[in-house]
Amino acid sequence: MNTLLTEEQRDALQELMNISMGQAANALARLIAAKITLSIPKISDVTPQQFMSMLTDDSVWYTRQSFLGTIKGEVVAVLSKEGSDAIACLMDYDLPLNQDSRDELLLELANILAGACLTGFAEQLSLKAKLSMPTMYTPTMQHIEQYRWASTLMMEVKFNVEASHFDSKIVICLEESSVQTLLITLQQLLE
Amino acid sequence: MPIPVTIADDSLLSRKVVRRALPVDWDVEITEACNGKEALAAVNSGKAEVLFLDLTMPELDGFGVLKYLHEHHAKTVVIVISADIQPEAKRLVDSLGAFRFLQKPLQPEQLKQALVELGLI
Repeated sequence: MNTLLTEEQRDALQELMNISMGQAANALARLIAAKITLSIPKISDVTPQQFMSMLTDDSVWYTRQSFLGTIKGEVVAVLSKEGSDAIACLMDYDLPLNQDSRDELLLELANILAGACLTGFAEQLSLKAKLSMPTMYTPTMQHIEQYRWASTLMMEVKFNVEASHFDSKIVICLEESSVQTLLITLQQLLE
Repeated sequence: MPIPVTIADDSLLSRKVVRRALPVDWDVEITEACNGKEALAAVNSGKAEVLFLDLTMPELDGFGVLKYLHEHHAKTVVIVISADIQPEAKRLVDSLGAFRFLQKPLQPEQLKQALVELGLI
């Protein structure tokens, strides 16, 4: 499952993700005044095929944004259709949502969660990563050619707003060339 | 006599970060715990006059530890060090009698300040 990392490195990455998702959840919790349940971050190796095959669920929406800097990669936010109206309501959107306001809501949510996750993560390692604006994303297998990596590190965190039955998942994929940068920085932290 | 101190966190990195943040001249004997059950075992064997406690842990989480200590009127000074920094988590921790709530990533100065305020150093 995980050949890129030693156990100690995996533990460290998981903890760094845990801290950044705590910051992301806090940002959202304050915005919607609701408690958010966090789960333990998942760290794994994936190929583009495995990555794409995760993105086939039609009970969710996807957004996508890339990041550039000392580490590069891609962030996909997975947002459940269920409960999104309740979240919209908490964020002062008028219901029912039309296509434009729905997209606006999803992109706003993706940006808050992905932004806080990635920023928190990069800051703890003193790495730079600048996130582009998210766009709505409909994954198809044809997109595979866009991925310039053979196998890479994927970090996955889940947020659950229990009161609204809303789920969200932030998936951060690093480009292959960034994995080495990450591991060197991680090693300095562990020494 | 060194003060018995326990650091409870499932992450090796986090335990290391707490260890490094402790004032060098503070005379302590450190025990490490990887989950809530181990933390309680440390408390019950007198190894935790001060307990640095993470909230999200397997077996028994930090809330479970706090609840147990609260119900058993334990004299342990608990300093929570948490990645979950939502107002709700802090409120719950306060109501369960923790002495301090520190946010991760842990700032050594904040830890030191808490120890000073609590009269531990």
